[in-house]
Amino acid sequence: MGPENSNKANNYPRPTAPFVPPQTNSPFTSSRPVIGSQPSPFTPTSAPTPPTTSPSYPPGPVSGSSGPAFRPVQTGRPTPPYGPPTSGPFQRFPTQPFPLSSQPPPPHTSPVVQPISSPITRPPPSQFPPMSNFQNRQPPIPTMPVNGVPSSINGPPMQQPPPSIGSTHPAVRPAQTSTWPGYPGVQTSSAAPVSNQGGYVAPPPTSSVPFSSHQVGYGPTPPVASPLGMYGGPTPPTGGMAGLVEDFSSLSIGSMPGSYDAGLDTKVLPRPLEGDVEPTSFAQMYPMNCNSRYLRLTTSAIPNSQSLVSRWHLPLGAVVCPLAESPEGEEVPVINFATTGIVRCRRCRTYVNPYVTFTDGGRKWRCNICALLNDVQNDYFASLDSNGRRVDLDQHPELTKGCVEFVAPAEYMVRPPMPPLYFFLIDVSIYSVKSGMLEVIAETIKSCLDKLPGSTRTQIGFITFDSTIHFYNMKSSLTQPQMMVVSDLDDIFIPLPDDLLVNLSESRTVVDAFLDSLPSMFQDNLNVESAFGPALKAAFMVMSQLGGKLLIFQSTLPSLGVGRLRLRGDDIRAYGTDKENALRIPEDPFYKQMAADFTKFQVAVNVYAFSDKYTDIASLGTLAKYTGGQVYYYPSFQAAIHKDKLRHELARDLTRETAWEAVMRIRCGKGVRFTSYHGNFMLRSTDLLALPAVDCDKAYAMQFALEETLLTTQIVYFQVALLHTSSSGERRIRVHTAAASVVADLGEMYRQADTGAIVSLLGRLAIEKSLSYKLEEARNAIQLRIVKALKEYRNLYAVQHRVGTRMIYPESLKYLPLYGLALTKSTALRGGYADSQLDERCAAGFTMMALPVKKMLKLLYPSLLRVDGYLLESSMKADVFEKVCKRLPLAAESLDSRGIYIYDDGFRLVVWFGQMLSPDVFRNLVGEDLATDFSRVSLVRDNEMSRKLMDILKKLRGADASYYPLCHLVRQGEQPREGYLLLSNLVEDQVGGMNSYVDWILQIHRQVQQ
Amino acid sequence: MMGDLIAWLFSFFILLAVLALVLYQIMCFLDLETDYINPYELATKINNIMLPEFITQGSLCLLHLVTRHWIMFLFCLPYLCYNVNQYIHRRHVVYATEVFSELSRQKRQRIFKLVYLGFLLFFSIFWMIWSIVDEE
Repeated sequence: MGPENSNKANNYPRPTAPFVPPQTNSPFTSSRPVIGSQPSPFTPTSAPTPPTTSPSYPPGPVSGSSGPAFRPVQTGRPTPPYGPPTSGPFQRFPTQPFPLSSQPPPPHTSPVVQPISSPITRPPPSQFPPMSNFQNRQPPIPTMPVNGVPSSINGPPMQQPPPSIGSTHPAVRPAQTSTWPGYPGVQTSSAAPVSNQGGYVAPPPTSSVPFSSHQVGYGPTPPVASPLGMYGGPTPPTGGMAGLVEDFSSLSIGSMPGSYDAGLDTKVLPRPLEGDVEPTSFAQMYPMNCNSRYLRLTTSAIPNSQSLVSRWHLPLGAVVCPLAESPEGEEVPVINFATTGIVRCRRCRTYVNPYVTFTDGGRKWRCNICALLNDVQNDYFASLDSNGRRVDLDQHPELTKGCVEFVAPAEYMVRPPMPPLYFFLIDVSIYSVKSGMLEVIAETIKSCLDKLPGSTRTQIGFITFDSTIHFYNMKSSLTQPQMMVVSDLDDIFIPLPDDLLVNLSESRTVVDAFLDSLPSMFQDNLNVESAFGPALKAAFMVMSQLGGKLLIFQSTLPSLGVGRLRLRGDDIRAYGTDKENALRIPEDPFYKQMAADFTKFQVAVNVYAFSDKYTDIASLGTLAKYTGGQVYYYPSFQAAIHKDKLRHELARDLTRETAWEAVMRIRCGKGVRFTSYHGNFMLRSTDLLALPAVDCDKAYAMQFALEETLLTTQIVYFQVALLHTSSSGERRIRVHTAAASVVADLGEMYRQADTGAIVSLLGRLAIEKSLSYKLEEARNAIQLRIVKALKEYRNLYAVQHRVGTRMIYPESLKYLPLYGLALTKSTALRGGYADSQLDERCAAGFTMMALPVKKMLKLLYPSLLRVDGYLLESSMKADVFEKVCKRLPLAAESLDSRGIYIYDDGFRLVVWFGQMLSPDVFRNLVGEDLATDFSRVSLVRDNEMSRKLMDILKKLRGADASYYPLCHLVRQGEQPREGYLLLSNLVEDQVGGMNSYVDWILQIHRQVQQ
Repeated sequence: MMGDLIAWLFSFFILLAVLALVLYQIMCFLDLETDYINPYELATKINNIMLPEFITQGSLCLLHLVTRHWIMFLFCLPYLCYNVNQYIHRRHVVYATEVFSELSRQKRQRIFKLVYLGFLLFFSIFWMIWSIVDEE
C-alpha cells in the first residue's frame, strides 16, 4: 500500500488539501473528480483491498499495530477524539477555540483568489479578513482551495484539525498556490465520468493527520474505489476496522435493555448545543459545489444500488433554498450571455457549470449530467491551456462557481417581465378594528412604501371587506381615493377594473392618503360578518392580468358567500379516530380551486390571521400552500402586545428581495430521479415547481429514487435551476450545481449523512402524513424510521465489535434521535386535542413546511441561555456575551431558581425569572411590584442592567430577520403561562405523556435491539 | 327472446362506453405524466368526464336490473356502490393542486376499474352469445 500511496500523490496534478503537507492526500482532495487523467493510478487500490478486510486486524483499540502496512500515517492519528470505547458512554471531541479557526482564511484567500475569481462579483481579497467569521459559518467561496479552509473549520468539532495545524498551514500554502494551475486537470479528466471513479474513492490513503477522525469514516472506502464490478455486494464493514478504534459513536446504556432504571447519564446524551453543524467533508470534497445554504443533501454519499437505498431507511433527498441570503461579499455572480445565449446541454438542458469539461481544444464541452458532447459556440470559445482548462476561466464565474445567476433572454419569457405587484385584501370587520390590527398594518404598509422592491415599476392595490366588498380607485389624477362598495356577493363585478391596481410612484399621494385614512374610515364599524370568499374572487379578478403578491389580513372566520366556513371546531371526539385528519385539511374545495387558479395566474398568497377564535387556518392556509406563500398567525392579536411582531414581519414580507413568476426544476444525473416534492408550491408538471413568488425565507424539500438497480457513474450531479423575474424586471435563472459521490457502502452513507437535511425532510413528511392520517401515526412514522436506520447501522458493526448493550450511531447522526423527539413534540405534531389548538397546529404545520434547515433546527431545539451572570457583571461588554452565555440542555433541570433564562426558538423569546432571584435584579428589570401581571409588564427601563438585557434580546433577534420573536416574560411558578410558554417546550423533559429524552433514547435503543 | 338479445346488445354497448370513458381517463393521466397536458387541463378533463361515467355505469346497472339479468346486475353493483360512495364524499373530483401527489393512486384505481370492466365485458359477451345460441 505504501507505494500506492506515494504513487497517488505524484499523480495528482496538485495537492488540493490546503492544510496538509502535499504528500499526504487529504480525503477531500482525492475524492474530487479531479483525479489525474487516467484512472489507472487507482487500480492498485482495488487490488490491495483484500488485506483491509482480512480479519487479521485486531478490532480492538490497537490502532497502530497493523496500521503501518495499510496506512502509513495512521499511527500519527490522534486517538483522543475517539477515545477508548469504554472511556465514556458518549464521545466528546475537543472543540477548537474559535480564534484559531478564523485565522487561516486570509492568507489563503489572497493568493488563490486572483487566478480564478471573477472580477465582477468577487470582492478584492482585502475584504476577506474582516469577514472571516462569516466564512467560518458557511464554507462557501467556491474557489477551490479556499474552500477547504473555512469549511474544515466549520466542521463538527471532531473534525477539527489539532492546533498544530496552524503551523503546518503556512508551510503548505506556497506549494498549494503553485500547483493551483493543475486544477484544470479536473476538467479534462472528469470529462468521462468513468474516469472519475477513483474520484471518490481516493480518500483511503488519506490518513493525513489533521483530519484523522474524519478518515475513520473512510475506512471502508477503498472497496468503493474499486471498479464497480469488483465490489458488488455491500461492503463488509470490516474494512473500516483496519487499525481503527471504532467507526461509530456510542452511548453506554448501563442496565439491560428492558429495565427502566438505566444507568444512562443524562449529561452525556448528545445535544446540538452549537446549533446546526453542517457536514463539511462534502464541501471539501467538491469545493465547486454551491454553498450548503442553497442545497443540502440528506446524505452526500449517493447509494449505488436499490438494495442500498432500501437499507438506508432515512429519507433520501435534498432541501433547497434557492434564494438564501448570502452574506456580504459572497453575492451570487450575475452573468449575461448577451451574444451567445445561455449555454446549455442540447439534450438534457443542463446549464453550463463548473463540472462540465471542455475537450477537443475547447471546441466541445461534455455535459456532466448526461455526458453528451456539445459544440461550443464561437462566441463562447476559448482555447485550452496545457492542463486542459480554458484560458479565460477567470472571466467565467459559471465555470468556477456552483452558484450563479444568468440573465435570461427573450426565449425564457412568455410575456414581458411583470412588475412587482402587491395587493392587499384587508378584513375591516369589528375585530380587526378593535384589536388594532388595521392601524398597525396601515402604518406599516405606509412606512414600507419607499422600500418596496422594483422602484418605479411597483404596482399596488387594496380591497377591504366585511359583509360587503370595498374597492378603491387610486387613479393618479385623484387626490383622495374613491371608495366603491359592492354588496352583491353572488355575482362579483369589478368596478373600474383599470384603476384598482395602480403604479405606486404615480399614485403615491393617493395611496398615502388612503393608508392615512384607513383606520379612521372603519373605526366605528360594527360589522361582524366576513365575505372573504367573494372578496378573494374579486382580488383574483383584479390581479389575474399581472400576477403578484396578495396579502390577506383576516381576523374572523369567513361567513358570507362562496367559501364560507363553519365552526367545525376542534372536536375532542374526533381525535384518535379516522376523522381526526379531516380537521387539518381544507373543508371547502373552493380554497383548493382558488389556490390552483392563483398559481396559474402567478399570484402568491400570504395569509395573516389574527383571530382569537377558530379561523380555520387549515382552509385559509391552503391558499398559501399551493401558491408558494406563507401563513402568519397571531392568535388573539392585540396591537399593544403583538404590534412589533406584526410590524416587523409584514415589513420583512414587503421589502425582502422577491423573485416573481418563478418556476424551479432540479435536474440530476442519469439513473437518479426526483420523485416527490415537499413544501409550499404547486407542481406544474412531474418535476416543475411553480412558484409565483419566492424569497430567501422559503425552502423546498425533495426526495429522489434510483431508476436503475445499479448506478454506473461515480458521481451524481444535481442542478437546481430557478427561472424567475427579478424585482428589477429582468428575467433571470439562478443555477445551483452540486456533485456528490456514489458509494457502494452503507456505512459511508451513514457517515456522510446530514442530520439537518434529514430532520427537515422527516418533518415535512410527518406533517404531510398528519394531513391524511392520525397524529400518532405521523409521530410513529418518525420514530420507526429512526429505529430502522439505527438498527441497520448497528447490524453493520454488531458482528465485529462487541457493542453489547451500548447504543451505537454514526457520528453524523448523533442528534437525530433528539431532533426526532423534538419533531414529535413540535406544535404541529404534538399530543392530541389538548396539547395545541387546532389553528396553531395548522399554522405551525404550514410554517414548518417552508422553513429553511437552520431555522427548522432552531425551532426544534431552541436555545436556552442563562443570562443573570452576564447581567450582573457590569464590566462585560456585549461581545463576550456568547462566551458567557452558553446554550443549556432544554430540560427543567437546567433552570436554577436563582437565575434568569432566555428561551429562544426563533419565533418567540421567553425570559424566565427564577423565584429566588435577588430582589434587586428583579426590581431593576421589571419594576417594584412583585405581583405585577407578567404578560403586560415592559422590560424597557432606564438602568444599565435593563439596557443590557434589551441588548441581548436585540442580538438574539438580529441573528435572523425572517421572523420577529416576540418577548414573553414569565416567572417561575406562574401557571399556566409558565407551562404554556416554557415548560411544555423543554423537549428533553417528559411533558404531557410524551417521552423525556432519556426514555426516548431507551425506547429507541430497545427497539433497535429487538 | 329477441328482446333479450337486444337488451344484451344494448348493455354491451353501454359497457363499451364506460370502458372508453375509463380508458380516456387513464390516457389523460399518462399524458400528464409525460407532460403533454398540465394539471389544469387534466383536472378539467377528468372532472368533466367523471359524472358521465358514473351515470353511464348507473344506467348499465339499471338496465340489467329491469331486464332481470341478476348475475350481471350483481356484478355491476359493487362498482356502482363504489362510485356512489366516491360521489357522496366528493372524492371523485381531481384538483389541479394535488394531482401529482395522487397520481399513482388515481391511476391504480382506474386501472383496477378497467380490469373489472374487462371481466364484465367478457361475461356480457358470453351471455349475449349464450342467448343467441339459446334462441336457436
